[in-house]
Amino acid sequence: MDLYEHQARLLLDEQGIATPDAIFAQNSHEVAEAAERIGYPCVIKAQVRTGHRGQAGGVKVAHNQDEAILCSEQILPMTIAGHKVNGVLVAQAKNIIHEYYVSISLDRTSRDFDVLATANGGTEVEEIARDHPESVKRLHISALEDFDEASARKMAESIGFYHADVDQAAQVLLRMWQCFKRNDATLVEINPLAKIGDPDDESSKSLCALDAKISLDDNASFRHEEWKAYSQNSHPDPFEARAREHGLHYVHLKGQVGVIGNGAGLVMSSLDAVSGAGEQLGSGVKPANFLDIGGGASAEVMRTSLSIVLSDPQVESVFINVYGGITACDQVAQGIVGALGELNVSKPIVVRFDGNAAKEGLEILKSADNANLHVRDTMEQAARAAAQYASSTKETTK
Amino acid sequence: MTLFIEHGAPVIVQGMTGHQGMTHTSRMLNAGTHVVGGVNPRKAGTSVSLHLDASDTETSLPVYATCGEAREKTGAQASVIFVPPRFAKDAMLEAIDAGIKLIVVITEGIPVADTAYCVELALQRGIRIIGPNCPGLLVPSAVGEGNDNLGIIPNGIVGSGPVGLVSKSGTLTYQLMGELADLGFTACIGVGGDPIVGTTLLEALQQFEQDDNTKAVMMIGEIGGSAEQEAARWAKEHMSKPVVAYIAGFTAPEGKQMGHAGAIISGGKGTAQDKKEALEAAGIAVGKTPAQAATLLRQALDGDGEA
Repeated sequence: MDLYEHQARLLLDEQGIATPDAIFAQNSHEVAEAAERIGYPCVIKAQVRTGHRGQAGGVKVAHNQDEAILCSEQILPMTIAGHKVNGVLVAQAKNIIHEYYVSISLDRTSRDFDVLATANGGTEVEEIARDHPESVKRLHISALEDFDEASARKMAESIGFYHADVDQAAQVLLRMWQCFKRNDATLVEINPLAKIGDPDDESSKSLCALDAKISLDDNASFRHEEWKAYSQNSHPDPFEARAREHGLHYVHLKGQVGVIGNGAGLVMSSLDAVSGAGEQLGSGVKPANFLDIGGGASAEVMRTSLSIVLSDPQVESVFINVYGGITACDQVAQGIVGALGELNVSKPIVVRFDGNAAKEGLEILKSADNANLHVRDTMEQAARAAAQYASSTKETTK
Repeated sequence: MTLFIEHGAPVIVQGMTGHQGMTHTSRMLNAGTHVVGGVNPRKAGTSVSLHLDASDTETSLPVYATCGEAREKTGAQASVIFVPPRFAKDAMLEAIDAGIKLIVVITEGIPVADTAYCVELALQRGIRIIGPNCPGLLVPSAVGEGNDNLGIIPNGIVGSGPVGLVSKSGTLTYQLMGELADLGFTACIGVGGDPIVGTTLLEALQQFEQDDNTKAVMMIGEIGGSAEQEAARWAKEHMSKPVVAYIAGFTAPEGKQMGHAGAIISGGKGTAQDKKEALEAAGIAVGKTPAQAATLLRQALDGDGEA
């Protein structure tokens, strides 16, 4: 789960990392009030879970209340890279002397944690790594060890923090590590970590986290009651929200063929097969969703899944692909037949069963004697049939 | 040589007394796995009765308080873990401390920090973890009796043969096992769909390379991370046997977790296309569909030695 900046900065603040005064606001009235309290100039920043918001016009400076309101009216309705803006952060503007980049993240390859830092902060780290690879310093933290003060200092020195900054930077790095560990994060990124203050007054200079990005490990939610506050509004897609309520893995993809299967890999493979068939047929038919019923799914789970997929008005046909391992195909078949009865289904459903109780499952489907039920032997044939049904429906409705 | 596990090695099950654990222990036993007991401190001293299909009899497996006790009394060489996510770290640590050499973690939903800790500790102690979030390990018996089936891979799809199979996904493993059932397998290993796993695709390839009976390897990958690329780089340098691959998730969108915790494209990285290109650059043929991958593997086996 990715946090919004306004949530992430609070987690940094908890660990004692300096952040500018800021207030989260969701309409222009709230923005006007927030700006008055923060003072001018202030920065109005789109709250959106994606990078490059600055380039997209999602960050503006306001020098008075009218400007603040104007900025918020421009930013609040925006959608950046497909992500709807959720609100704005009204933050105190700071005099920036220098910008650093620092992050701690999970490293899947070395199976440990990575501290990444560079003195060339401010832009996306991918760009920094491309343009100035030599400036990006990396340090691994073993999963069995802690990140201590000595390593933090060494890191700070290697990045190019100088003099008094080294102590401060080492503290920031240590606190980021605390933030990372305590919150079961997979990423804590500060970009920019800015040196702020009066350029002519050494004693006024300090490090401040001007932006923050934090991703949390969903698997750890059982030990973080406080995350409930984050999950509100985090599934704006109604289909995804409904599937989640039932404990199902569903991703809305907005094509025409609903896809249901058991096991994440097999469902992804089924999506690819539908897209492939759509291309081959020249109809451009695409999968409408990813839905994994998981291992050992009951008839009830199948019925719920089918009802969620069919409630998407864009769905023209459904492809059900089950390789019975723990899952028994006869259970799945009962779920399908049950759903057909309840939902008054009028769209073609193509089923492919293999493995555990496949024969029994196919018999149940056959005896249901429903004209909308179609069976194919292989997943390729089934995907093609489902894509065909979707494209023919598409044509007849034109 | 031993591929992952010695044939007929004693196996214990952590979480055997739960519903899932009991169902799968029974399946493992019926596959011929030498399951010798379970671990549950609250039910220590009791036993669990399980049905054996072949002889239509009941067998009784003892429940031990700790992995240490279980190992002492049974000589267990491997453990299969079914405990819920919140207890998984302790279960893994207990097995590691007991010196059990092979730990198969089926549990889905373990916090990645917990996995990272246990995997690092296991690596330091020369212990192999397979998983988490995986279907486990199946080593079909070459002598015709008693498969070593550690986990939830269905028995009866395949027998012994020249193919090694390594996969990030459970059901795609079964799919490819089904496609290649006539050839048979030396071992089928599901490495798991989490961001950090105890045995990577690369480490599984290393085992298959060392195993004389394995003549070709089928590798199944999916979006997220770069385990496929790392396996490809290693294979290009060190692998003398043909490897064929299948990758799932070409249609997966950026930033969406596709079922598995590790199956996510982030910052444009971890796409199926990138993986396919890296594999092909390393001389590994990639099937467009599971069926096509199976065909490619047959071709690779036929042209044995020249791949």
